[in-house]
Amino acid sequence: MPPASDRMTTNEQPLIISQRAGRLLTITLNDPRRRNALGTALFDQLERALDLATAPEVSDPPSVIVLGATGSAFCAGFDLEACVQDAALLPTFVDRLGRLTARIRALPAVVVARVQGAALAGGCALVMSCDIVHASADATFGYPVHRIGVSPAVNVPVLLATAGLGAARRIALSGEIITARQAESLGMVQSVHADERTLHAAVAALAESLCAKGPHALRTTKAWLNQVDGTDAAGFLGAAATRAVQATIDVCRTAESRSMLESFWQQRRSRA
Amino acid sequence: MRDPLRFAASARPKRSTTLERTMTERASLTIADGCATILLRRAEARNALDCDTIAALRRCIDAAAAECNSKRSAIRSIVLAGEGKCFCAGMDLKGVLHDAVRMGDMLRGLSSALLALRQLPVPTIARVQGAAIGGGCGLAVVCDFAITHPEAKLGYPEVDLGVCPAVVAPWLVRRIGAGPARAMLLAGGTMGGEEAAARGLVTRCVPAADLDAEVATLAARLATGGANALACTKRMLNELDGSLDEKIAAEAAELSARVIAGPEAQASLTRLYAPKPQGGPAAHPPR
Repeated sequence: MPPASDRMTTNEQPLIISQRAGRLLTITLNDPRRRNALGTALFDQLERALDLATAPEVSDPPSVIVLGATGSAFCAGFDLEACVQDAALLPTFVDRLGRLTARIRALPAVVVARVQGAALAGGCALVMSCDIVHASADATFGYPVHRIGVSPAVNVPVLLATAGLGAARRIALSGEIITARQAESLGMVQSVHADERTLHAAVAALAESLCAKGPHALRTTKAWLNQVDGTDAAGFLGAAATRAVQATIDVCRTAESRSMLESFWQQRRSRA
Repeated sequence: MRDPLRFAASARPKRSTTLERTMTERASLTIADGCATILLRRAEARNALDCDTIAALRRCIDAAAAECNSKRSAIRSIVLAGEGKCFCAGMDLKGVLHDAVRMGDMLRGLSSALLALRQLPVPTIARVQGAAIGGGCGLAVVCDFAITHPEAKLGYPEVDLGVCPAVVAPWLVRRIGAGPARAMLLAGGTMGGEEAAARGLVTRCVPAADLDAEVATLAARLATGGANALACTKRMLNELDGSLDEKIAAEAAELSARVIAGPEAQASLTRLYAPKPQGGPAAHPPR
């Protein structure tokens, strides 16, 4: 948890908390009440945090970024309530998610995901774009979006490159939600910790050790890995990613998707 | 009692039914009973890879390939091993640190030796005792099988030294997958033999005393398979997983050389190779 002094003192709670300490930038999703759902405001603030950290005029860009979240879930996916209210939002969110994940992978900093609770759909996509993933044992991963008539195609390019062909096919087609241990065995998570306290300690230690390494070597190694595994503009994150985003948007605009999303949301509200 | 971790000349098979060819230099090739052994012989420097060692290794790989491809070849597997306490402590950049041309030659030599090692037409087994660090770990990972023991140290601490593990990266990605390879190479450091087995870096981790027996058992099992079937399977795997990509191997060597020539790596490597108060120079970083 970030110290209280870093929070805004106004009534408006920021949805993203950005803290800089030496070469380390910690970005925390901070909308725990809505399980850090990706909506317009959260996308805006997350993009702004990255803009600020990586702007060309920044003389000392971070070499390590930790992406974490407050609350019981890392990120439960898109803000579906907003999508139900405004049909134009879902395709917009898909486009923004596609750009954001490609951007995280291309960042000249090593990005470590610190995941507790659910990292589903768009939340799982964010995690997969990171370089190193640490999770608590209660974390869950997956793309359960077929039930709302949406395709996880937007994240398939990164998922394929990260988890391998077999695992990507299983996760993207089944929509199953897997545990942190299962995700570890599929290569989607590198380290699983007993609880949130040990998770935070392990990520802090990793971040410290990464910050002590040569930033040029880290940057070059990440860029080379992007080229080797195809998650660069010449590979999966070039034309293939554009096609994947467009294909996902096309699915979102179908009547099937619209009606499935609405009935899913009605069911959820009636259960609540 | 003989130290089980020390790979001595006496550990090599005595009974030679085919032919024996030994190169009296920094690497040797021995062929006996259908199994060829390529042995790194720079035990005094923990088999660290300098220009001469890489060249000698390459000659052994080429000689083994020629032998395998000859009509009357009886070679069914090839063991890659290191004499002394360590399999291979990694690249020895000391002599070429300030010489960009020779540095480039050395990295190109390693990258192309790894490619040649991968293309050997019979299954290869790395016998990893003591340490397999950086480029040494790269050698183990390029082999089809690698066997180690719990006390061994393996891994890629390149980024800890401001160096880019570009040459070994594609091979690690092919071995353990892109996601895990990314995390391992960016985090740097080394790990023990058991963790190396759990993370897929080696195929097995056995007690040190059983290392030779395990290698022999595996070689014997490989010898029971159809030679053509195994060669065909290996060729197919190499084609499908991108192992034959010469362009990426060449590019990796250039990138790695560029990073080592930069100020960040020069500063940390100069510190690493500076004369120590006691003992010899460390060929790999303390962890």
